[in-house]
Amino acid sequence: MIIRIFFLFTFCVFFAYISEGQKYTISGYITDEQTGESLIGTNVYVKNPVRGTTTNAYGFYSITLEKGTNVLYASFLGYSDWSKEIVLNGNVSLNIKLSPSAITTQEVLITGDRPDKNVQSTEMGTFDMPVEMVKKLPSLFGEVDILKTIQLKPGISSGGEGSTGFYVRGGGPDQNLILLDEAVVYNAAHLFGFFSVFNADALQNVEIHKGSMPANYGGRLASVLDISMKDGNNRKYAAQGGIGLISSRLTVEGPIKKDTSSFIISGRRTYVDVLMKPFLKKSSPLKESAYYFYDLNAKVNYRLSDKDRLFLSGYFGRDVFDLSSSEDNFSNKISWGNATAVLRWNHLFNQRVFANTSIIYSKYDFAFEAFQDQYDMKLVSGIEDWNAKMDFTWLPNTKHTVKFGANYVYHTFTPNNASAKTSGVELDLGKPVELYSHEGALYLGDEFDLTGLIRINAGLRYSLFSHIGPFDRFVKDPITNQTVDTIFYGKGENVKTYQHIEPRISARFMIDEFSSVKAGFTQNYQYIHLAAVSSISLPTDIWVPSTELVLPQRGNQYSVGYFRNFYKNMFEGSVEVYYKDMKNQIEYKEGALIEDNINNNTDNNFTFGNGTSYGIELFLNKQTGKFTGWIGYTLAKTTRQFPDINLGEEFPAKYDRRHDVSVVAMYEINPNLNVSLVWVYSTGNTATLPVSRYIIGGNVVNEYGPRNSFRMPAYHRMDVSLNYTPKPKKQRRWESSWNFSVYNLYNRRNPYYIYFETKGNITEGYLEIKAQQVSLFPILPSVTYNFKF
Amino acid sequence: MKIVYVILALILTVFMLSCQKEVFIELPEPENKLVVEGWIEQDQYPVVSLTRNSPYFSAVDSSTLANLFILNAQVYVSDGTLTEQLTIDFSNAFLGIWPFVCYKGSLIKGEVGKSYYLTIYAEGDTITGVTTIPEPVVLDTVWWKPEPNTDDTLGYIWGIYNDDPLLKQYFRLFTLRKGRDLDWVPAFGSVYDDIFFNGIEFEFSIYRGVTALTDIEAIENDDELFAFKKGDTILLKIGSIDREHYDFWRTVEQEYFSGGNPFVFPVVIRHNVEGAIGVWGGYGASIYQVIAE
Repeated sequence: MIIRIFFLFTFCVFFAYISEGQKYTISGYITDEQTGESLIGTNVYVKNPVRGTTTNAYGFYSITLEKGTNVLYASFLGYSDWSKEIVLNGNVSLNIKLSPSAITTQEVLITGDRPDKNVQSTEMGTFDMPVEMVKKLPSLFGEVDILKTIQLKPGISSGGEGSTGFYVRGGGPDQNLILLDEAVVYNAAHLFGFFSVFNADALQNVEIHKGSMPANYGGRLASVLDISMKDGNNRKYAAQGGIGLISSRLTVEGPIKKDTSSFIISGRRTYVDVLMKPFLKKSSPLKESAYYFYDLNAKVNYRLSDKDRLFLSGYFGRDVFDLSSSEDNFSNKISWGNATAVLRWNHLFNQRVFANTSIIYSKYDFAFEAFQDQYDMKLVSGIEDWNAKMDFTWLPNTKHTVKFGANYVYHTFTPNNASAKTSGVELDLGKPVELYSHEGALYLGDEFDLTGLIRINAGLRYSLFSHIGPFDRFVKDPITNQTVDTIFYGKGENVKTYQHIEPRISARFMIDEFSSVKAGFTQNYQYIHLAAVSSISLPTDIWVPSTELVLPQRGNQYSVGYFRNFYKNMFEGSVEVYYKDMKNQIEYKEGALIEDNINNNTDNNFTFGNGTSYGIELFLNKQTGKFTGWIGYTLAKTTRQFPDINLGEEFPAKYDRRHDVSVVAMYEINPNLNVSLVWVYSTGNTATLPVSRYIIGGNVVNEYGPRNSFRMPAYHRMDVSLNYTPKPKKQRRWESSWNFSVYNLYNRRNPYYIYFETKGNITEGYLEIKAQQVSLFPILPSVTYNFKF
Repeated sequence: MKIVYVILALILTVFMLSCQKEVFIELPEPENKLVVEGWIEQDQYPVVSLTRNSPYFSAVDSSTLANLFILNAQVYVSDGTLTEQLTIDFSNAFLGIWPFVCYKGSLIKGEVGKSYYLTIYAEGDTITGVTTIPEPVVLDTVWWKPEPNTDDTLGYIWGIYNDDPLLKQYFRLFTLRKGRDLDWVPAFGSVYDDIFFNGIEFEFSIYRGVTALTDIEAIENDDELFAFKKGDTILLKIGSIDREHYDFWRTVEQEYFSGGNPFVFPVVIRHNVEGAIGVWGGYGASIYQVIAE
């Protein structure tokens, strides 16, 4: 059935193509006139009737128009509008240079999207987050953070302070595909989630898909976060950076060969550990401890010709947490980090066909080493990918945008390899385990106008996953849990293969110029999973592949929405409703312990179930003027049902948030000064609390209630920030600006966790239990000095 | 410039202060459950204690403590041929040893290799359990070694154990200091699974257990915490246990140490009795004497 639909629409596409009248294509690259940087998401259009396109991730656009005279317009945030009259008698190659606009007027838009993209586009739940806007908002310790800012939009909620993940429409933290220049970033958080690994100075654009994910993306159920790095100024050398309270950063960019090739290097490091040392008492156990993180982004690009361009980009970052004391003779060192490298080749076959080929390497690893007296232990975990992909965009005419491509990944998983020695004797913790797999996909999608009012984006993705050897399967007796058989698989031998077809479809129906209705359905399969060791996301969570026991996760999302712009696109508003059902979700079996991993397969410790999430998202955004901002409200419910957990009863997911409100307001007082305010509110986290206690061996044992049945108090806080950019009378090369931020303005003690303090001695006849709530961040002011030259 | 440093210091101090406050939580009334803590050792009579669970926040004092024990249960132990009803005994209460009230046997003594069946009728419920007494574990050598930086006054007990790779063994360690401890004290981290050292000669140290894990004051003031003082005569008991018995103590000790830790999933205790929660376990015991010198 699906195959038939597939052939039917391929046929439609061809038919549409050959039945067109006399049309020609204008195509080219749009860049910043001063820096040569490609501009992503620039609107390129004609009027009467309004028809257009946007530049892709490489700044390339292609628009097919009627023969004759046309006026072409290009517009993008922070740049002066551009237009040109073009007489079309044949295909035209036209590169456009936009000049940055220093003047902010009533008309200038502050979002990177086309003014009516809210109403026009077929994709629901997709939006861009321009880095320039992110920099204006208040931030924790003055650290601009893309991941924190996207959580201000409806449907995307935070994992809570100190949690690495974020949740999109009730999906787990492993269900978000985070890409940096096409490389997957497995753990996008520094310091347990307080900051993300993305240094905003190195980035150009962030695109989020939380609803109908188009067919060119796959492998995750909930969302795609597609982050593009800047290419680097190819006209002159420039640097920018900042000195903040807890970290500093520096970015250097410039041409290698003017107008042809450029580079950009960006680095950042914290020094909170260095600063803390003078304040710690000599007797403090933290005296010899250190915590620091650093990251480095680097990119080089080379324009070989009008048709070919090469890019090489990389990211390297690490967190190191060292808790040691030579006096007490112990040392605990935890470190984790990502490393990525991407080589890309853009090729223009002709005016209408753009292709990109990439070779990608991505690695995440986590290491924990503990040393105490005679005991020495090491635990490592991680994932390493080698990835090759090709993506084609074919624009046969203005009615169709066809995308197709292929993707292949070779994964190596290290779920958790432990080794331990005591008094020099090596303990037997089992053979170190590595798991291998192939993952591949082919996709084809087309966005086309069915009629003047109806646009459809339809696609199919075929995905495949194979768990291959070398691999030893320990077959366990279900009752005694003893190994009864071991099956050995050789190198490259197929252990288990899964393949699926994922349909993706969304449609937009224009009611009038300012409003539309959209609907969408997507089916996604996810073949790699994050097994959470604890109830909050930590770097210790391990990535595992699908195996014979671990089925691929499957998600179906249905969504429908009404979109309306007001006052000539000054306001955009939307109401979206979604329903998701997720199968084959993973949790650890209740009572799983470290010993269970010895001479055992990790997947023998998992249990599986389903998840359901549904909700309604309301959004109102003021895009233009001195005062801008948005209000987002989400009302949602997320539940899980596992036969082996909570006695098979449905229970709320860890990240079930009934209400989630974000209010963002930005006001430009004058060109040198702007202020912004953020207020967030969300229902408290769930927790599993004890309901009774009993005594065994003279000590208290807790008996727990139903899973996640307790709700912590609600989380809310307000942040403000002020950005001051002094403009000296004489134009100098060195520009500076100051950012003053206050995090948690009214000092709310938001609960981080609740624990129970038990004091007493049963045998002496007294015992007392108290509940204690720990909060993390009180009111935190910060100052950051930013510079540019 | 100095001002910047001061502001910085203030901000960082604010960050370092742990913001903690007591909160009052409404918890639902719990389901009433009976808790069994019973054991039988080779050459010894069985001992069983029966208590109740309590609502989480209810404070304990001497009167509420007394009410926790069930005094009118009928407790039977059988070895497959003989059955005996255990009689209530209050002697522990006078000595201050937990459990204060027990049901003790006087007929059936534990034997290595046999299975023992427990049946209890209490408050309208029937509780059953079964356990075995495995072959006792034999240690190669046991000795006391002083720790550095203690002037040779404090040390741990060390043992060498030769694991038989063909025999699956679990065991639990107890210590008793002659003249100082009234009863056996389980070691700190008392249960072992031979999977970690299967077939090898394994040298390990034993930490003296803490009887009241929540008596913070006593723990902080204990100069001999986890250690044994020079001059003491210490008895070491290694009780060989079966898998279900091991699972119970392993999960209970995990709960002791992590209970209330919000970052860990709640521990599911592996009880080995039916109709109630708790344990009925056999021990195949070997006892060694170590003089700390």
